[in-house]
Amino acid sequence: MHSGILQAINGVSFAALLFLLASGFTLSFGLMRVVNMAHGAYYLFGGYIGLTITRYTGSFALGVLGGGLAVIPLGYLIDRFLISRTGENHLAQVLLTVGIAFVLGDVALKIWGGDNLKVPTPIELRGAIELPGGIIYPTYRFVLILFGIVVGVSLWLLYRKTQIGAVVRAGVDDREIVSATGINIDRLFVLVSALASFLAGIAGVVGGAFLTLYPGAEWEILIYALVVVIFGGLGSLEGAMIGALIVGLLDAYGRWLLPEFSYFVLFGPMAILLLFRPRGIFGREG
Amino acid sequence: MRRYRVILALTALAAALIVPLVAGQFWMTLITQIYIYGLLALSVDLLLGHAGLYSLCQASFFAVAAYTTAILEVRYGYPTLVAAPAGLVAGTLLAVLYGCAVRTRGVYFILITIALGYIIWGAVYRWASFTGGDNGITNVPPPSVAGVSIASQTTYYYFVLGVVILCAFGYRILIRSPFGLSLRGIKGSESRMQSLGYRTTMHLYAAFVISGAIASLAGVLYVYYNRFINPVAASFQISVEVSLMAIVGGSGTIVGPFIGAGIFLGLRNWVSSFFEMHTAVMGIVFIATVLWAPSGIAGFIGRWRGDGAKTKDRP
Amino acid sequence: MSIATLHRRFICAAGASLLATALVTASAFAQQTGPIKIGLLVPLTGPLATPGIDMVDGFKLFWEQAGNTAGGRKVEYVIADTTCNPDQAITQARRLVHQEKVHIMIGPLCGHEGPAVAQVSKETGIPLVMDTAGADSVTKWDRTPTVVRTAVSASQIGHPFGDYLYKELGARNVTFIGQDYTWGHEVTLGIVQTYKELGGKVAKIIWNPIGTKDYGPTVASIAPDSDAVVAIVVGADRIRLFESWFGFGMDKKFKIYGGYWMHQDALPQMDDRAIGMIGNSLHYAAGLDTPANKAFVDAFANKYKRLPSWFSESAYTASLWTRTAIEAIKGNVEDKDAFLKAMRGATVNAPRGTLKMDAYDNPIQNVYVTRIQKINHPAIGSVLTNVPIKTYENVSQFWTWNPEEFLKRGPYKR
Repeated sequence: MHSGILQAINGVSFAALLFLLASGFTLSFGLMRVVNMAHGAYYLFGGYIGLTITRYTGSFALGVLGGGLAVIPLGYLIDRFLISRTGENHLAQVLLTVGIAFVLGDVALKIWGGDNLKVPTPIELRGAIELPGGIIYPTYRFVLILFGIVVGVSLWLLYRKTQIGAVVRAGVDDREIVSATGINIDRLFVLVSALASFLAGIAGVVGGAFLTLYPGAEWEILIYALVVVIFGGLGSLEGAMIGALIVGLLDAYGRWLLPEFSYFVLFGPMAILLLFRPRGIFGREG
Repeated sequence: MRRYRVILALTALAAALIVPLVAGQFWMTLITQIYIYGLLALSVDLLLGHAGLYSLCQASFFAVAAYTTAILEVRYGYPTLVAAPAGLVAGTLLAVLYGCAVRTRGVYFILITIALGYIIWGAVYRWASFTGGDNGITNVPPPSVAGVSIASQTTYYYFVLGVVILCAFGYRILIRSPFGLSLRGIKGSESRMQSLGYRTTMHLYAAFVISGAIASLAGVLYVYYNRFINPVAASFQISVEVSLMAIVGGSGTIVGPFIGAGIFLGLRNWVSSFFEMHTAVMGIVFIATVLWAPSGIAGFIGRWRGDGAKTKDRP
Repeated sequence: MSIATLHRRFICAAGASLLATALVTASAFAQQTGPIKIGLLVPLTGPLATPGIDMVDGFKLFWEQAGNTAGGRKVEYVIADTTCNPDQAITQARRLVHQEKVHIMIGPLCGHEGPAVAQVSKETGIPLVMDTAGADSVTKWDRTPTVVRTAVSASQIGHPFGDYLYKELGARNVTFIGQDYTWGHEVTLGIVQTYKELGGKVAKIIWNPIGTKDYGPTVASIAPDSDAVVAIVVGADRIRLFESWFGFGMDKKFKIYGGYWMHQDALPQMDDRAIGMIGNSLHYAAGLDTPANKAFVDAFANKYKRLPSWFSESAYTASLWTRTAIEAIKGNVEDKDAFLKAMRGATVNAPRGTLKMDAYDNPIQNVYVTRIQKINHPAIGSVLTNVPIKTYENVSQFWTWNPEEFLKRGPYKR
C-alpha cells in the first residue's frame, strides 16, 4: 500500500515533466502540422544552457528561465529556414528533424562533454517532505508536480479562454479560414513555435535537475514524449495532459510490478491503442 | 540510353567482382557490410519509395532473423540449412504480425512502427537468458552447406554479392509488375486507387510483408558476416540509419540504397578516424539531402544525365 | 590540409607517417626495427565517452612517460572510436588489424564489446590486451588463446564484497539494486554468492536497465525489513540513484553501501553528502596510499587537473603490462606467441598493486573496499575520492573456489 502510493506520486511527477515537453510538441503539430523530432534536442540544449546559467549565477530560477528563453531563437531559426521548406510533407519533416537532432546532439557533446551533468537545485528544494502515513517524498518532485499543474492550467486557460487561444484553435481546425479572416497566421506560427521551444527548454532544465543531462538523453526523453502524444492524440492539449499521466503511471507501476516487461508495459498498450484508435484518445478524425 | 545503362551496370558488376583482388581485407569486409545494409535499406525503400510509408521498425525484422539464426546455430547446433531459413521465416512472420500497422497512414504509421520497434528491442535486451542480453551471441560459426564451410571472407563476399544481385533482379521485377505500379498509385493518391476498385490496404500489407522478408534476409546475411549479434541490431538507431541510407542514396531506385549505405558506412568509418564530430557530419548530409536533393544521389545523377523523370518525387 | 596530414595529426605518434609505416612493415629486415603499432579501442563518443577519454588520458600518460618506446623500438598508437557499440567495435578492430596493421590491440571499454573484439582477435591472430571490458566469460568459459585481460573480471570485485558485507558490515537481510545487464549481473550475483554462502539473506534484488531515468520507483520498492542496501550501478544511473536516495529520505531509513557505485568520474556530480559512505569494492582506488599510486595520481592530476578514475589507471596499467612484455621479448612483437607468453608470465608493479596473471588469463590482484573522503590535492584543491578501508589481497577471479568447480557451476545469470 505504502509503496503503491509512493509509485503513484512518482508517476505523477514524471508525468509533469513529460507534459512540459509533450505539450509543445503536440501544439506545434496541431497548428503547424509539424512533426519535430528535434524536440528532444531542444530539451537537451535548454537543460545544458540552464545548467551553465545556474552555475554562473547561482540561481536555479534564472537557469530555468534562461534555458527556456535560449531555445526560442534556436527553434525559430530551425523552423524558419529548415522545417518551413518541407511544406506539409511529414516524411520529409521527420527525416529533416532527425538530421537536425544529430547535429545538435553532437554540438552539445562538443560543448558540454559526455559527462552526466546535474543541474544544481537550490538548497530549499533538496530536502524531503514527510506526508501523513510516514511517506517521505523529495521536495523537488513536489514542486515539479505543482509547476506542471501551473503550466498546464495556464496553457489551458490561454488555449480555451483567451482570444489568442481561440485563434490558435481555429487555426488547428482550418488554417485557410483563419488566414481568410485577415489574421496573420505566420505571426501566430512564430508565437506557438516560440512557446513550444520555450517549454522544451524549461523541461530540459527542470528534468536535468533530477534525471541529469548527458549525450543521448534527447532521444530517451523524446521517445517518452512521443508515447505521450500518441496516447493523447496529436495536436490535443488535453490529450497531452492525460497522455502524460498515463505514461508516467504506466512507467512507475510497470517498473515496480513487472520489471521484466517494463518496455512492453509502455509500448504494448500504445501499439494496441494505435491500431484501434490511430489518432489517440483525444485525436480528431480527418 | 539503354545501352548506356547496360554498360554502367556491367562496369559496376566488374568492379564488384574484382574488389577482393585489389582492395585490402578491411575494404572487402566493409563493402560486404555495405551490401548487407544496402539490402536492409532497400527493404525500407520498398515502403518509402514506392508505397509512401515510412517504417521505422525494419531493424526488428533484421534482428529477429539474425537472432533466430544465431540461437539455432550456437545454442542448438543446427546446420546452416536449417538455421538460415528459420531466421528468414521468423523475421517474415514478425512482419506478418506487425503488418497490422498498415491500418494507419502518414505520421501515425511512423509513430506506431517506432513503438513496435521498441518492443522487439526491449525483448532482446531484457530477455537475457534467451538472447544473451547486451553481450549478445558470439562465435556464430561460418555458414556451411553440405559439409563445405564458407569460412573465408573472400568467399563470403562473393556469396553476399550473389544474393544481393539476385535480390536486386527480383526487386526489379516486383516494382515493375502491376503490383509495383499499384503501390506507386497508392503513394500518388490512395483515394483514387480505392475508387478504381483497388484494395489498397491489402496491397500495402503485402508490401510490408515483402519488405520484412527482405530485411530478414539482410539479417541472416549479417549474422553470418559479423558472426555476432547483440541488441543494437534491433535498435531505433539502426532503423533510422538505414532509412537515411535509402534517402541519401536515392529513394525509389534500386542502386540508391546501396550507394547510400556506401556513403553512410564509409563516412562513419573514414571520417571517424580523424574527425570526432562525425555524427554531425552525417546529420548535415541528411539535412542537405532532404532539402536540396530529395531524390538522393542516384536521382541527382539521373537528373544530371537528363533522365530523372522517374525519380522526381520527394521521399 | 591534405588527408594524409590530417591523419598524421590524429594518429598521436612519435612523428613517423603512415606511408613510412606501410613501407617499413613491408620489408622483413625493417620489421625488427620499425615502430610497434598499438591500437586502442575506446568509445570517444556516445554515452560512455567520459570513461573512454579517461582511458585515453591514462594511456597517453603512460606512453609519454615511457618516451614512446618499448623493447628498443618506437611505439606508435592509433585510437579508434568504438562508440560503445559492438558492431562498431568489430568494424574498428578489423580496421586496426587490416588497415592500420597494428601489432597489438588494447581495449575495448564496454563489457559487451569485449566478446566482439575478442572474436576479431581470434579471427586475425592479433593479440588483444583486454581492458577494461569485464565480461566474466572472456577469461572463463569462452577463452581465446590470443586474448589476455589486464583489468578485471566482473565477479572478481563482487566476491570480496559479499564477504565484507556479512563479516564487517554485519548485514543479514539485504536489498540489492543491480544494473540489468551482463556486467551488473556478474558483479551483483558475485556479491550475492559469497554473502549467501556465509548465511546472509537476500531480501530482494531490484534490477534496473541502464539509463533508468527515474530512481524514485526503485528506492520506493526496497524491502522494508532490509537492514542494508547494496548498489551496483553504472553511468548516469549512479547520480540519479544518489539524488533519489537522499531526496526520498532513504538515508534516514536504510544504510546503503556501494558495491560498484561512486567512482572517481561520478564523484564531481555528487556532493558532500557522500562523505563517509562506502563507495565501491574495486581493484583500484585513487586514494590508495602507496608510493606507486601516489606517483601515478600526481602525474595524472598535474597533467589533466583531475583525479584518475579506475578507467584511467586501467589503461595506464594495460600499457605498462604490454610494455613489460615487449621489453621481455626485446621488442620482437612480430612473434605473437612469444608476446602472449611474456604477457602471461609478467609480474607488474602497477599503481593498483602487484599483478600477476592466473592460468586463465585474468590478473590476480588486490580488491579495495573504499570509503568516500574529501582530500586536498595540491594540483586540484579539495576533492572527493575513494580511500581504501579494507584490502583483500591477491584476489583470484575464482575467489577461494577451485577454478574447475567454478567453471562447472556456470556463469552468473539472473
